[in-house]
Amino acid sequence: MMSLGPIGFVVPWLLLALPALPLIWWLLRVTPPAPRRQAFPALRLLRDLPAAEETPARTPWWLLLLRLAAAALIILGLARPVWAPGGGGAQGEGPLLLVVDDGWASGADWAARMAAAQAALDGAARDGRRVALLATAPAQADGTPPTPTALMPAEALRARLTALRPKPWAPDRAAALSGLALWRQANPGGFTSLYIADGVEHQAEGPASSASGFSALARTLAEAGPLTLAEAPAHAARVLLPPRAEPERLHLALRQTPAPLAGEVAVLARTGDGRALARATIPVAAGASAGEATLDLPLEIRNQITRLEIEGEDSAAAAVLLDERFRRRPVGMIGPAEQGGNTPLLGPLYYLERALALSAELRQGSVAQLLARQLSVLVLADRPVAEGQERAALTRWVEQGGTLLRFAGPRLAENPDPLLPVRLRAGERQLGGALSWEKPQGLAPFAESSPFAGLAVPAEVAVSTQVLAEPGPQLSDRTWARLADGTPLVTAVTRGAGRIVLFHVTANADWSDLPLSGLFIGMLQRVVALSSGVAGAEGEAPLAPLETMDGFGRLGPAPGGAGAILASRFAATAPGPRHPPGWYGLPGEGGERRALNLSASLPAPRPLAAPPPGTVRQAIGGVPAERDLGPWLLAAALVLLAVDLLLSLAQRGLLGRGARLAALLPLLWLATPAQAQEAGLPLATRIGYVTTGDTAVDEVVRQGLTGLSDYVNRRTAAALAEPLAVRPGQDDLSFLPLLYWAVTGESPDPDAGALAALNEFMRNGGIILFDTRDEGSGEGFSPGAREALRRITRGLAIPPLTPVAPEHVLTRSFYLLPPDLPGRFAGGQVWVSRQEDRANDSVTPVIIGGHDWAGAWAVDARGQNPYAVIPGGARQRTLAYRFGVNLVMYALTGNYKGDQVHVPAILERLGN
Amino acid sequence: MASPVAAPLAALRATALGSRLPPLVVAAERVAATVMQGVHGRRRAGQGDAFWQFRPYASGDALARIDWRQSAKSDRLYVRETEWEAAQSVALWRDAGPGMSWRGGADRPEKRERADLLLLALASLLLRGGERVRLLGERRAWAGRGALASLAEALPRHTPPPADDAIPRHARAVLLGDFLAPLEETRAQVAALAARGVRGHVLQVLDPAEETLPYAGRVRFEGVGAVAEPALLLPRVEGIRALYAERLAAHRAGLAAIAGAAGWSFATHRTDTPPEAALLALWQALAPAG
Repeated sequence: MMSLGPIGFVVPWLLLALPALPLIWWLLRVTPPAPRRQAFPALRLLRDLPAAEETPARTPWWLLLLRLAAAALIILGLARPVWAPGGGGAQGEGPLLLVVDDGWASGADWAARMAAAQAALDGAARDGRRVALLATAPAQADGTPPTPTALMPAEALRARLTALRPKPWAPDRAAALSGLALWRQANPGGFTSLYIADGVEHQAEGPASSASGFSALARTLAEAGPLTLAEAPAHAARVLLPPRAEPERLHLALRQTPAPLAGEVAVLARTGDGRALARATIPVAAGASAGEATLDLPLEIRNQITRLEIEGEDSAAAAVLLDERFRRRPVGMIGPAEQGGNTPLLGPLYYLERALALSAELRQGSVAQLLARQLSVLVLADRPVAEGQERAALTRWVEQGGTLLRFAGPRLAENPDPLLPVRLRAGERQLGGALSWEKPQGLAPFAESSPFAGLAVPAEVAVSTQVLAEPGPQLSDRTWARLADGTPLVTAVTRGAGRIVLFHVTANADWSDLPLSGLFIGMLQRVVALSSGVAGAEGEAPLAPLETMDGFGRLGPAPGGAGAILASRFAATAPGPRHPPGWYGLPGEGGERRALNLSASLPAPRPLAAPPPGTVRQAIGGVPAERDLGPWLLAAALVLLAVDLLLSLAQRGLLGRGARLAALLPLLWLATPAQAQEAGLPLATRIGYVTTGDTAVDEVVRQGLTGLSDYVNRRTAAALAEPLAVRPGQDDLSFLPLLYWAVTGESPDPDAGALAALNEFMRNGGIILFDTRDEGSGEGFSPGAREALRRITRGLAIPPLTPVAPEHVLTRSFYLLPPDLPGRFAGGQVWVSRQEDRANDSVTPVIIGGHDWAGAWAVDARGQNPYAVIPGGARQRTLAYRFGVNLVMYALTGNYKGDQVHVPAILERLGN
Repeated sequence: MASPVAAPLAALRATALGSRLPPLVVAAERVAATVMQGVHGRRRAGQGDAFWQFRPYASGDALARIDWRQSAKSDRLYVRETEWEAAQSVALWRDAGPGMSWRGGADRPEKRERADLLLLALASLLLRGGERVRLLGERRAWAGRGALASLAEALPRHTPPPADDAIPRHARAVLLGDFLAPLEETRAQVAALAARGVRGHVLQVLDPAEETLPYAGRVRFEGVGAVAEPALLLPRVEGIRALYAERLAAHRAGLAAIAGAAGWSFATHRTDTPPEAALLALWQALAPAG
């Protein structure tokens, strides 16, 4: 190898070709470029023109320079220049043993360590030496001690070195020493060794440490041959201890190997999804090995923190996981009905979720499901507690310390139960309204004795309806909040170790503005804070590893060798290959999680003892890695040649305009590609239809909905755009009020994504019209459609159905219609959900029938109706269109016209 | 060149004969319409349809020519005279040689395309003026406005040299082409027509590239057309640009001299300029002096 400053050449004799460059210069100069060809009619006039100057055609100087540069780059590249050769250390003869500390202390600067190891490997590869690798941290969960690999060529070892990762536990140098002894029996003879050490003495302090720790290992290596010790002296190994929790703050503590300079260590508090919520700095004095700080955080914020970590230090010991002991209270919620509680802006749970999501862990389910787990607060929103097992279980839970938070509502007002702080009068009290002189009432300021004391009462909160308590001697004591006129708004009573709290209004905005105000959040947080905390479930249950950390402190799926820990022995378990640090818990959704932290079991880190005399010391990092420059030079030469090709083509006029643009295309990559957006879709109201896969049917439906949209636009104030074909699960349904689904015998089953999308669509107020196209007079037109309908709707949340009644809103939302609702066919039955279901304002989420309405509405390109109605008549077509208008109005306005149904009765009553 | 025009024409004719004018003719009509306004008719009494004047009855006039309505207004008899509408035969010709099917850049039409357009536009004007239009070398003559479509149909097939034995004496002729052939050829053709008493107009249609020679560097010039002339390799085209311009000017002067000697007029037209100007110049050259 020849060296030239920091660059060495592996094949230096190729540089002899450089003097040949002037020859290329000369050759390029004497060869003119090829002429461009040009057709020209006035050729006759050009002929025999005396040539004004006979200068030879020349290659332009810049093109010449370009080609010379390319040739020079090729010669240099083939000579294989190497940047900074020999930086890897551990020079010498004979085999090389790479010893790498891959414990927790190596994670922070792992890349630099690997670079040092790779550099040594590169050097060994160039010199043709054989290499073995010894990683000192135990890797196997079964307790196999770390052993060196067999001696192998450097290239073969490279893959192993690349696969090496730091372990989230301490290295075991004593075990490595015994493994090394075994290896030396198989490979007698001397060897050079490079020890990439993490700079931490991992053994606990004591007399045994010098015999089994770093000193012993280094001594053994130095006896076998020259030893190079690679260290990162400037880098202190740091351990972040689990914090001590106090109200409103966390106490942080840090241990580290002494650093020569004073400094600050930043600690980040992160949420479960990785957002950093807070940052604290721990000052560490020069030469000190410990530091402390506090992290001041409000409870709501602290509850979200699941992880503390030292900023910029990727190591398992620098990250601490915070489990339930540091976390928020679990709150269960049950709405008035199984369905509809979560409806945006309408359902009570919608408001509760938004009010409590920040400060509590929310769960939903049935009473039995919720009480089966630890729970501090259970919210019942307008849900009476049925007598029997449920009431008994709730009573027992409250007496054991649970807080039962209840909200009033129409159902509770009708049938109050004993699980209330006060006795209620039957029915609700209306304040204000069309037929009342009273005005909606505001809130009185909270009394000093109330748990809500100190919360500001906004003036705009008004209560228009509430349930009233029977007056009694204890009513005043049990009242936490009052209206301005003195009637109780929130009452509470202590039962056993627990408490029952009642808000005399609903949890949604039906009865009062309270859920819309910030006061609501404050009141709920006070109630939750009053509740008792939760204790971890102790027992003999094995806690399986859910997520474990790697050596960089990153969470990931548990490795195969990781085993479960008995809950009772969890506190005493030290992390190791069998139990990596991370989250442990009962498998399954929402189970309790316990955090196993590495730092809890580590001794305070101490610096290494001095290595044996004669050891070469080398610093990790800062040494530029050896780099092969050849491929880069050759690539640059290729680019230059490509440019040259384009330029020559352009000179000869062979490059069209398109090709020139294509040459500029790479520049366009620099520009950020704009996201194509489906603009305009939400800007217009349109009816959607589900594609069936049968083109003919889809076309009929498309024509039908186009015809209906035109009809609606002509007759009503609604403005519908072109209908839209959708595939549930793939397209966004949220902008469509109505989905038309023509069911055929061959309709495919919707997949899970489609089912979820359709259920979500119906839950948020969308309407799906299923049309089997074979009812009444159309019997037999679409064989197999009814079976297909059953198949399709199996996974959908279809409510109980009833035939369309004569007074159903669908029959009078625009036109007054008879309830048989004919389409192309007539005489069948049309089904909607029962009126009694109050979810979604009694608007049915599905309409099921088989009258092939789309066929009746269809209008072809010439504006005619291509499909005859059966049995027939203009009246049937008109009725079909009118049903379509009613349907669209129903989808757009809901039960708005439902009130009008009662107008005759109201008029009659007023007349009397 | 024949096929791109003939094919759409044939297709159009097959589908809707006579219902619409072919696009080329439409373009020609559009250009012609802009010229019509400045040009007027014969301004003399004679054979025709349009009313010209009343004049007192003179003996010898046919009784049928008396305008009784006018005569009833006074004691005298009046004869209704119409404007003279004499039809003149105009022979048109455009060069269909391979050199015409060429353009120096994508932003302008081929020379032949432009020549066709000018010819049809001129024919449209003439037909509208009631003149008879011939293609030089064709037996048939066209008259009447509807004849334009038929003329456009015949045009792509029309490729003879500019000579016609059957041309009426004292007819007019209009020759369109690049006239890059040796001057002697052109002189012979014009002289042959002038010998029959035909007066006319020569319009040289050139591509701008043929005037300015915008090429540079080392260029191999090749002839256009099937009978290829030997190619010409020029090492530095920019060096001979001035010489070429000189030679082109001399050629033009020669053409003007040929036309002048025969009593004809001569003009040039570049394909990157609008066709209306050339058409107006043609029309005015053809319009009667008085």
